[in-house]
Amino acid sequence: MDYDAQLRLQAFLDGELAEAEASEVTDWLARDREAAALLEELRHTCEALRGIEAGIRLPESREFFWSKVEREIQRLEAPAPKPAPVPLFALLRRCLVPATAVALLIIAGVVLTRPTGPSGLTPAAEIETALADSGAFTYRDYSAGTTLVWLSYPADNEVAEDDETDIVE
Amino acid sequence: MTVKDHSSADDPTLVRVAQRGDMAAFEELVARHRDKIYARAYSMMRNEEEAVDLSQEAWVKGWQRLRQFQGESSFGTWITRIVINLCLDQLRKQKRQRTESIEAMSEESGGVERQMPVVTVNPTAGLERGELRQRIDRALGQLSYEHRTVLVLHEFEEMEYKEIARTMGCSIGTVMSRLFYARRKLAVLLADLKKQDSV
Repeated sequence: MDYDAQLRLQAFLDGELAEAEASEVTDWLARDREAAALLEELRHTCEALRGIEAGIRLPESREFFWSKVEREIQRLEAPAPKPAPVPLFALLRRCLVPATAVALLIIAGVVLTRPTGPSGLTPAAEIETALADSGAFTYRDYSAGTTLVWLSYPADNEVAEDDETDIVE
Repeated sequence: MTVKDHSSADDPTLVRVAQRGDMAAFEELVARHRDKIYARAYSMMRNEEEAVDLSQEAWVKGWQRLRQFQGESSFGTWITRIVINLCLDQLRKQKRQRTESIEAMSEESGGVERQMPVVTVNPTAGLERGELRQRIDRALGQLSYEHRTVLVLHEFEEMEYKEIARTMGCSIGTVMSRLFYARRKLAVLLADLKKQDSV
């Protein structure tokens, strides 16, 4: 008997076959003793299991078991604890600390990004050396919209007879 | 509703009252069905402590979901399905945590049951109920959880193949194979126990 036939026999026992197929199995069982023996074994097992759970009892008293269930239900249904009231000082601190931090950051940003001159120049002015050893200096005053370039000619390492200053507007 | 009313009321009445928040009505339902729920959990888990914990969890879940219960099935069936699902979840967790035995793997691949000789004598004939329970208990304990669960769902819960397949998340073919193996193995185990006792 192949495996599919064995499973068909089991399906017959469990009432899972259509009427026509069940009728075929009945005919087959009448002819095949091995199949009939297997069906008998399966039937015995089912009978042995029948009603076996009926004798199993919960090993705890009604009151004790219910008290556990009830306690767990109450625990799960209890509302979440309310947060404690916040004192006024703490509330102010909570608001003021971030506000102060933001204000400090803004001030720091303004101070650090504001252009400042090293030697008493106006804040919007700067001096730069165009090339090393070239003897040229550029002065820019953004507020006045002025740029001045000092050119040393001849260069500092040469003997200068006269200096020229070009003004570019 | 008084305590006396609760004990004399039928399940649908108790459910309706409990759905309105009456804990005493729910307590009565627990008292009526607690043994069956525990027995189902024990059949699946084979461990007393786990079965108690899971049946308690099932009752807590039952209370939480009671408003969703519309009465399509009996209350007993509904709460039993809750405990079955909890047991299946627990068994799956346990299975993930332990290494599969070679025997379990060969059971899964099928074929072992085909070579088992047919047990021609009823191995449980003439046994007292208590003795029979003990033997079946021992035999069920030797089955893998997949085989035991299929057997429990089919024999105790009286589920059809397709319902078991849906519950366990497998094919109907797998359900048939597992059920066949479980029954054949159980027959052999019971026959062995009978032989041991007669020696």
